[in-house]
Amino acid sequence: MGVRRRAAWKGLGPIGMAAAMLSLGALGHAASPQERFRQAGALVRGGDYPKAIAIYGELAASGSESASLYWNWAQAALARGAQGEALWALLRARELDPADRAVGREIERLREAANLDRAEIAPEPLAALARTARRFRLDAIALVLLLVSLAAHAGLKWRRSVARLAPLAWTALTVGLLVAVAPVAGSLAHPTGTVIRRGAPLLDAASPTAEAVGTLREGEVVPILESSGGYVRVEDSSGARGWALSVDVRPVEAAPRHAS
Amino acid sequence: MSGGRSCRLAAARMFAAARLAAARVAGARLFGTAILVLATLGSTARSSMAEGVVHSEVDARRIGLEDQVQLTITVEGSALPDQVALPALTNLALVGGPSVSTQMSFVNGQMSQARSWIYVLKPLAVGHAEVGAAKVRFDSGEARAPAIPIEVAAGSVKPTPAPRRPIDVFDEDPFADLFGSGRAVEPRLLVEAKPSRVSLFVGEPLVLTYYLYTQTSVSGLQFAEAPQYAGFWAEDLERSGRPNGDPATIEGMAYRRFPVLTKLLFPTRAGRITIPAAALSIGIPRQTLFGGGGVVRRSTKPVTIEVKAIPDQPGFNGAVGRFRAGAAVDRPTLALGEAATLRFKVEGSGNLKWVDRGPEVSVPGAKVYPPQVKSDLKASVGGIVGSRTWEYVIVPQTAGTLEVPALAFTYFDPSKQRIERSETAALPLSVQGGAAGVAPAVPLAGSGPIPSGGPLPLRTELESRSFGGSPWSGGAVGLMAGMILLLHGALWGSGQLGRLRLRRAGPTAAPRSVRGALRDLERIGRHGMTKEAAAGLIEKTIHGVFGSLDGVEDERARAVRKLLDEVHSVRYAPQLGDYSEKLRELAGRAGEVVRRWV
Repeated sequence: MGVRRRAAWKGLGPIGMAAAMLSLGALGHAASPQERFRQAGALVRGGDYPKAIAIYGELAASGSESASLYWNWAQAALARGAQGEALWALLRARELDPADRAVGREIERLREAANLDRAEIAPEPLAALARTARRFRLDAIALVLLLVSLAAHAGLKWRRSVARLAPLAWTALTVGLLVAVAPVAGSLAHPTGTVIRRGAPLLDAASPTAEAVGTLREGEVVPILESSGGYVRVEDSSGARGWALSVDVRPVEAAPRHAS
Repeated sequence: MSGGRSCRLAAARMFAAARLAAARVAGARLFGTAILVLATLGSTARSSMAEGVVHSEVDARRIGLEDQVQLTITVEGSALPDQVALPALTNLALVGGPSVSTQMSFVNGQMSQARSWIYVLKPLAVGHAEVGAAKVRFDSGEARAPAIPIEVAAGSVKPTPAPRRPIDVFDEDPFADLFGSGRAVEPRLLVEAKPSRVSLFVGEPLVLTYYLYTQTSVSGLQFAEAPQYAGFWAEDLERSGRPNGDPATIEGMAYRRFPVLTKLLFPTRAGRITIPAAALSIGIPRQTLFGGGGVVRRSTKPVTIEVKAIPDQPGFNGAVGRFRAGAAVDRPTLALGEAATLRFKVEGSGNLKWVDRGPEVSVPGAKVYPPQVKSDLKASVGGIVGSRTWEYVIVPQTAGTLEVPALAFTYFDPSKQRIERSETAALPLSVQGGAAGVAPAVPLAGSGPIPSGGPLPLRTELESRSFGGSPWSGGAVGLMAGMILLLHGALWGSGQLGRLRLRRAGPTAAPRSVRGALRDLERIGRHGMTKEAAAGLIEKTIHGVFGSLDGVEDERARAVRKLLDEVHSVRYAPQLGDYSEKLRELAGRAGEVVRRWV
């Protein structure tokens, strides 16, 4: 039997070997996100930061986003000297897991190291409100309270004998509406982006021939007011508005579209 | 140096200049010897203030408390400061100024310049006051004028100054009233703004020289207003040596031409840019023994420059000229944990002062800190010459051979009319010590789980979507909250609608009677009420709430009638036992009917 198998392998020849290699390659490609994540970690430890970051980017673009992924991304970017990218990754991690205290501490350290003011990485107060709402699940709490209120009111309507439900109905309605304010108001915040390139220019138009009217600070978080082609319209911490290359300003509230 | 002495010195120099110019134009040799002597004196005096001299003077040493005093600080020298600090004031307050004026004068064909700052001060109290020592810092050191004491008396003691001619250094002509002081002949003077070229590219240097053409001597010269260079970036050019007047002929007339001011201009935008006319006030010394001198005003003509645009491309930072880039690392071999300095130097001639941003440097396996910029630039007629160096600190994060990539500097070469690129070679950086591929501690990372495989605090598990992710957006929450509110409204509205329908269906009790009716019903069975009285109260209450239901055939009417029938039967039933329990039950049912149907 074993002899026949060896003969069969021999009979396959080079074509068979190539097919086997291809299938192995396919297996490698089909590695789970968890395996890819560990592979990227090994690359970071080996000092191959660009390749590791490319894998993190692929994972994020494929939907395998998590605070841990961005945490490691930030460490790799930091080791590579890309402070702005590291700060962006940490901010993105905080978006995904606002309760991760390590991320919060790391953001604070990086902010101080980059000599950025607190307001320069939090230009949208409503975004912080939205984050708080996500952290404490205020959206779910509000909906539950409003549904309780609705049920209590319906009970009062159909069974007047349960008049004691009235305070519950009104309290639940009031609290539910108040709690719902946070996620609703948070959704009104402008999307923000982090400047990931040192000396990224602030342009006077969304055009390749535009003139630079200033320079954005690496790591600064800016509200994204508008988007056009490969440009985004932003406002820096001094209030200056202009256009920046979208590759220089990476959105905080959305996953990156492609690996960097 | 006191103000009076300065004035005499200036007068001597101006007098010498007048003699020299007159002698050259007329060809007279009469004053030759005197000129030489005066020129030598002027030169000697000048050498003493080659670095700069500062004078401080006030228009009165004794003033009244109600008077004001004028403080004039004058700086003479080759390089004048833009501003001077107001000296310390004792018992004086600043009430006006400073007004600034700049004067230029020619002495033996050499130009000197002075700038004055005039302040108006007011005493604060009777007694001693003082203007502190005036200090001005020059490149070679500090010059100072001594403090000036002032006596302040009560009231007003300062005489009203008589009007004077501003530039007449020899003061009033004693024979003016007798012989008259008007001059019949207008002196021949011209000024001109002359550009080194009239067509150039954005960022290319242009030398603009203001010339004075004169046939007569000049005692003073100053711009009536500071020249404007909108559309240009202007740099001052240092005067080289002591300019002598050149002979020049204009419309057949012989003049001597003196450069007054030279500016290095760089156009900042394309198009036709006009440098507006500049007006100069020129002081004329007295020509005769009884002549009073005076001031004439001359203007240059506007100068139009044609500025051509330069092409643009990604990475081009606006440098125009001819440059060469170079890069070097101070330590090609270093130990892990040490830092190397990369110096990227650009040298050449052009508008290098414009270029602030260095190239992006990224070294895989190393942390590169933002650069420090050092400049060694000097303005000359050919542009700004020198070098600018960006110094990057590189801290390797891993052992092995790292590579500083090739760095490029792009600039526009006007002679070739295209964007050129000067590129450095890649530089190896050998990092020794530690295990290859193992990064040292990264300064900013210190928290979080520490994996066993290395010092970087990497996380090892890719958890599923973090709990912070919300299934609903804020908009969806708002929408759902709105829908729930609508449902609340629907519940409330249906109740109101039902009541409305009932009211339409038949007369019912006023809202007041509902609460009253319920209170009445609660009294049933208490206070020893007879069954007839209790049943009567129920009937009365029900009638009071619902009114007459005759002819109404709906569920409500049926329920009310059924209740009333039972109440009747109890009311008129023989007293065979205790009906209090039955009456309480009927009262409870009556209450339910009222709550449900009202």
